[in-house]
Amino acid sequence: MDRRILTGSSLAELLDATSRGNHAAFRALYEATSAKLFGVVLRIIGNRSIAEEVLQDTYIKIWQNAERFTPEVGQPVTWLATIARNRAIDRIRSERIERHRVADDEDVLGRLAAPGGFDPAAREALRTCLGGLEAEARDCIVLAYCSGFSREELAERFGRPVGTIKTLLYRSIRLLKACLEKE
Amino acid sequence: MTEDLENAAAEYVLGTLPADERARIEERLGHDSALREAVQRWQSLLSPLDATATDTVLRPEIWRAIERATAGAPGASASPAGNVVVLRRRIAAWRAATAATGALAAGLAVFVLFDRFAAPPAPEGGRYIAVVNSEGSEPALIAAVDTGTGIIRVRSLTAETPAGHSLELWHIAEGHEPRSLGVLQAGLDAQTIQDVATSGPVDGSIAVTVEPAGGSPSGAPTGPVVYSGRLIPVE
Repeated sequence: MDRRILTGSSLAELLDATSRGNHAAFRALYEATSAKLFGVVLRIIGNRSIAEEVLQDTYIKIWQNAERFTPEVGQPVTWLATIARNRAIDRIRSERIERHRVADDEDVLGRLAAPGGFDPAAREALRTCLGGLEAEARDCIVLAYCSGFSREELAERFGRPVGTIKTLLYRSIRLLKACLEKE
Repeated sequence: MTEDLENAAAEYVLGTLPADERARIEERLGHDSALREAVQRWQSLLSPLDATATDTVLRPEIWRAIERATAGAPGASASPAGNVVVLRRRIAAWRAATAATGALAAGLAVFVLFDRFAAPPAPEGGRYIAVVNSEGSEPALIAAVDTGTGIIRVRSLTAETPAGHSLELWHIAEGHEPRSLGVLQAGLDAQTIQDVATSGPVDGSIAVTVEPAGGSPSGAPTGPVVYSGRLIPVE
């Protein structure tokens, strides 16, 4: 795709044009975002060919729903990644998939600290607040968000009853919220 | 916002809710603005984690499948601008008339782009497109010319540059010398040429010749024409 178009148009503009049925804008949007979204989906699905199906579903949904994006719902890239994550999670909850990859939370925290990229202040705040949680609580949050672990899978991984995981998540969410509001 | 609702919003975003609770939240999101705002807030707070995923390039087949699934399907609500509709119809007509390959359809769809995307065309401007191929074989590239802005967009489909040479693009009009539009950069999917001399209605063809690396030294074509295609007005 023409690089001048990509650099000259923000993702929001591409989404706007896509919502009007502009297929070239949709393609540019795909070119600009698909590698990132595929990374997000693959990390959850852990199976390349199923992740490809989910990614296809994701972009078909983006094409159909592009007009629902408004600046009030957040950053365009967050909106897009949310669609991808939701479809990936729906998929792993609805069928048993042989998954191979698991996010390592050390790695994730390290990557949050990496310089550059989008919204460094938000990343730093999240890194600080995740870092403030106890190790197991932090692992639960990271494995849930990044790798799509259910409560049951977290329970199995940490050898705890599901009820304990539920409580742990509940407490971690409150702590995170309090910390992020302060940051 | 009760703490339970806040927790449900956060767990919905984390993805840890059981399927039935997840479905209930999704149903409520349609009409419960407090819940919707809480979910959006958690999505924003946790979204930096998306950036920790490793970018992974997809096989080209994936885009082609998405393109097939969305071709012809309208965007959800807004009706496209009139000229886009015209171009889409034309694409459909070409598809039927030429029984072209999927690659042709794919390439053409990319040029449904002039409505509001690049600079708007000058009022007197016209739009032309040429499907450039080698004697009726699969299209090698597609050139779209906007005479209002002088912008020519070239999308390479199967064009191959011989080693040590360059492919050069020409406008060939009856009664005129071939005019160089520039050298195609090898390996580039799409490129834009600003051609200040293009104005008014154009006719004739777009042709591609094999030239020494960097383009014809004389300003006139020196190598064989490998691809050509007639310019067709699109509106």
